[in-house]
Amino acid sequence: MKEFIDKVLESQKTLAFPIMTHPGIEALGKTVKEAVTDGLVHYQAIKYLSENYDMVACSSIMDLTVEAEAFGATINMPEDEVPSVTGRLVSDAGSVAALQVPSLDKGRIPQYLLANKLAVENVKNKPIFSGCIGPFSLAGRLYDMSEIMVGIYIEPDAILQLLQKCTDYLINYCTALKATGTAGIIIAEPAAGLMSNDECMTYSTDFVKQIVEAVQDDTFTVILHNCGNTGQCTQAMVASGARALHFGNAIDMEQVLAECPSDILVLGNLNPVGVFKQGTPATVRLETKALLSKVGKYRNFVISSGCDIPPHAPEENIKSFLETVSNN
Amino acid sequence: MNSELLEKLSECVEFGKINLASPYPPQMKGQPGADEITKEALESGVTPTEILNDALIFAMNKVGQKFSENKIFVPQMLLSAKAMSASMTHLKPFFASGAVQRKGTFIIGTVFGDLHDIGKNLFAMMVEGAGWEVIDLGIDVKTEKFVETVQQNPGAVVGISALLTTTMVNMKPVIDAIKTASPNTKVIVGGAPLSADFAATIGADGYGKNPQEGIVWLDKISA
Repeated sequence: MKEFIDKVLESQKTLAFPIMTHPGIEALGKTVKEAVTDGLVHYQAIKYLSENYDMVACSSIMDLTVEAEAFGATINMPEDEVPSVTGRLVSDAGSVAALQVPSLDKGRIPQYLLANKLAVENVKNKPIFSGCIGPFSLAGRLYDMSEIMVGIYIEPDAILQLLQKCTDYLINYCTALKATGTAGIIIAEPAAGLMSNDECMTYSTDFVKQIVEAVQDDTFTVILHNCGNTGQCTQAMVASGARALHFGNAIDMEQVLAECPSDILVLGNLNPVGVFKQGTPATVRLETKALLSKVGKYRNFVISSGCDIPPHAPEENIKSFLETVSNN
Repeated sequence: MNSELLEKLSECVEFGKINLASPYPPQMKGQPGADEITKEALESGVTPTEILNDALIFAMNKVGQKFSENKIFVPQMLLSAKAMSASMTHLKPFFASGAVQRKGTFIIGTVFGDLHDIGKNLFAMMVEGAGWEVIDLGIDVKTEKFVETVQQNPGAVVGISALLTTTMVNMKPVIDAIKTASPNTKVIVGGAPLSADFAATIGADGYGKNPQEGIVWLDKISA
């Protein structure tokens, strides 16, 4: 953890860490489905990006279905789109109580562990960050996202029990990912951004904190990602204890950086769709320069995409982003 | 008495008190909710139109406003929408008989290929609370289904939602097909990856950055 954080804090220039694997998957001529089901393809995509893009670290696929699938949720997996959870696995206190915390050999988890292991063994020029879903976002996929939002008030005990089961599983999973030798983990908790700061504290932060306490140390950094936060729950994110926080494009980065302690890394937040996917190299350059001129002065700032760069974002846009950061 | 019931009902919807059994909000625990108060109001002679206009639309408008000002968040908004739905259940027979007129019909669905529904559900409930009849086609709605439903409901407005960058592009063929079959049909689009510029390029008539913006647009075109 210290190594990565120190590198950023000591850097004289702003460093770039876009969250992406799709450009690597596409460059290999593979589909999203192949990458999310085959650890070798997943690793090869990470390796390709590490060799072809000038960024401070690499990340694994941001797939917010793999843990829900391990619990038994049904997954819709199109050939070339990000997978999604269908239906509802639990619906009341009884089904939550009966829900079993799965072992790490269920679903595609072994393939994800394999991808991380291969990446650590074969990518030597950049730190690798693993990825997992956050506890509230996972619970929402098991309970139904609309229903859990209401459930926190109508059936709070059942929701808290579900969150604890999700957290127990995520601690096991993160511990196994850490054992592969990665430099840290990006915990994606976008659904928590739909709540107030107090709700986020009770139904997300208290559980994220358990994961942070279980895995974060000098060798392993937790990056908490919440692209749903529009500014109302930044303090809840800080309270998680994660040494790095990653924000989406709906937030004002200047305000975030003013709110966050200077020893916490703050990453964000160029629009992954409007800038990276739909923009042109020229508009990407403009947007990148604008963000750098606004918050580049903060030593704890790392410029990034506001979320995972989606499939089929033009390669020249990503190159334009990285060149602009490098030449700044 | 009637105005007192309407005020109570409005309060239940604004603060998300669904029914007597619901523990939320804590300050109203043990009190009747939108379900019981609507029943009582109808039995006391309050008209369904008064309930719709003076309690439900009034309260949901406040809820939408508070949401757009970041004073409340998705959980509170959904609880309000649930309270509104509990009340609306008692009004359905009056809508069916034509005793109560609504602002129009709104057809909504998540575009084909996309299975996400929280934004679509939220907006559908807000539109219903704004006084529209809502036909919710669900998720992964094929183009033909949108067109067929438009043809069955002349004058209806259509809302299309998408959460994924890979599915937002599916909105254009749906809009094209709707406009070909029914050129005067208005279409509004929404969803996290969209923007007003994108909505304009695919031929949408309206774009809702948040539910309240969508409601304002609907009110404008139905005025």
